[in-house]
Amino acid sequence: MPAKPPADLPVRWELSASPDGTAKLAFTGELDADSTPEAWHNLETEFKEIKVLSLEIEVRQLASCDSAGLALLYHLSVGGMTQGATINLTGLSPELQHLLHSFSSEDFQALQEHEPACSSLVEDVGTATWSWLSDLRQQVTFIGEVTLGVLAALFRPRRMRWKEVFRVFEVAGVNALPIVSLLTFLVGMVIAFESAQPLAQLGAQVFVANLLGLVMSRELGPVMAAIMLAGRSGSAFAAELGTMKVNEELNALETMGLSPVQFLVVQRVVAGLLLTPVLTIYAMYAGLLGGIPVLLGLGFPLRMVLHQVQSGLHFGDLAEGICKSIVFGGIVASVSCLRGIQTGEGPRAVGESTTRSVVSSILLIILSDAIIAALTYTLRK
Amino acid sequence: MSAAAKSLIEVRDLTIGYGDHLVLDGINFDVRRGEVFAILGASGSGKSTLLKHLIGLYQPMRGDVLISGASLAHAEGDDRMRILRKFGVLYQGGALFGSLTTVENVRLPLDEFTDLSTVAKDLIALSKLRLVGLESAATKLPADLSGGMQKRAGIARAIVMDPCLLFLDEPSAGLDPITSAGLDALIRELARGLGITFVMVTHELASIYSVADRVIMLDPKTRGIVAEGAPAWLRDHAPQPWVRHFLSREAA
Repeated sequence: MPAKPPADLPVRWELSASPDGTAKLAFTGELDADSTPEAWHNLETEFKEIKVLSLEIEVRQLASCDSAGLALLYHLSVGGMTQGATINLTGLSPELQHLLHSFSSEDFQALQEHEPACSSLVEDVGTATWSWLSDLRQQVTFIGEVTLGVLAALFRPRRMRWKEVFRVFEVAGVNALPIVSLLTFLVGMVIAFESAQPLAQLGAQVFVANLLGLVMSRELGPVMAAIMLAGRSGSAFAAELGTMKVNEELNALETMGLSPVQFLVVQRVVAGLLLTPVLTIYAMYAGLLGGIPVLLGLGFPLRMVLHQVQSGLHFGDLAEGICKSIVFGGIVASVSCLRGIQTGEGPRAVGESTTRSVVSSILLIILSDAIIAALTYTLRK
Repeated sequence: MSAAAKSLIEVRDLTIGYGDHLVLDGINFDVRRGEVFAILGASGSGKSTLLKHLIGLYQPMRGDVLISGASLAHAEGDDRMRILRKFGVLYQGGALFGSLTTVENVRLPLDEFTDLSTVAKDLIALSKLRLVGLESAATKLPADLSGGMQKRAGIARAIVMDPCLLFLDEPSAGLDPITSAGLDALIRELARGLGITFVMVTHELASIYSVADRVIMLDPKTRGIVAEGAPAWLRDHAPQPWVRHFLSREAA
């Protein structure tokens, strides 16, 4: 029963089977990665139709054979297509014979039987709890270390690396001005637009200016500035320290007797504490500026708008915003540095710690914002 | 066979550098089919940069690199793929993908470039792992392998598509002498057994004497090749005293 392979394949074979169960398979041509897949498939269907007890494979006429071809020959020679038959492979050159020895069905079996380790639910819960607790512990230690470091810097300012502080101040503060002003300007505009309509129904459109002043100074100025800081600079802190950890620079510091917190984190936290109030005041003004064109468009003269803002705002509102911003600045800088220091090993670790730094920063910003809001509300009463 | 037909790589007037800084100025050399070729030089002489130009990662400032007559720097699309398929590269740290197991790393080129069945791909990947002696580490993640094992897995991945040419970037760097000797033996076996041409950048003198057929020596001062030939011959007969010194110092 001779079977012909498709004419366009560079490899051809002749499969002849006799009724007593002996079969001969002879290859000619090129058995390579391009021709093997089809040859493999066709041979499989051809062997399904016949019963083979012993098979002679002859490859002397093969012009070339690569690893893919060898895989096919190996699969044939271990009875992958003819279960239970005795198989004889002849005509392989010594080099290919040597390579064929590197194929092994035990390895293949072992790979098939290997199942990826799967942990139980209890184990997962335990691991998660443990890592959460140890993270908490690390955070507490870290807060202590940073506080001590910042206090030490205050009492002995000469030992502080001020150059680094100014560099961070420039990168995280000055360079952030364009984006902070653009975003808060637009937010101010949107708030003015959105509040103008409902207030107009009450005939109180002029109070849009008061509202804008209050919202910007007490809430959105500090929060927007802090979120921008977290996304723009906090992530950079985490990536920077994370890369240093991966490159063993942190280990180098430690063995030199320098604490990474003292050497790297304190500068960033001090810079964060100093720059967020400045950035926040800037954000407040940009937000107000964004609202003014809208109010002018509604027909209010500039003098009136400014007067409304002035009369609606008190020193307490500004102070609240600035106090908040100092807290936020400390949180963003220290949490981002902590996430950077906690970076694990492997190529994804830096990415993970960057993500964690932004998520934790924003979460803590909103959380502390809520706490401060509740506190000031009770104090005012 | 003419001289041109025998050389697998032809480097012609290759000038490389960064910005205004010139690293190598107009160098010429050939790598012959089937030989183990080593690029030597002091630190900072541009060995690794030269290698990155040979494998087409960087564009030369002037000149060209021809791999079996075709220029990688000027090829695009399918032509470029055809040249890239001819060679494999072992990077310094192995450059295994950390999220894949060893066998998945080795199988990756097969998954991407062939239509083979899963059985065939697994068989081929495992056979390459057995060739480099890593069959028992098939299901481990790269992070769980030692440095030497990662390099061997890197070699397995580099030869899985049956390239005729293999580039090695500092194969012995960071390995102990025994592991490094094992790697040399593997290189010899692959070169003699499979007829693979090797181009390696190294400063491990022991491994140069044990595997390299020919070496070139780069000089950072003249920004060119100062010596070319068999390593043992250069050690004894190189015209420049410092080349003899370089080649005999550590080897003793």
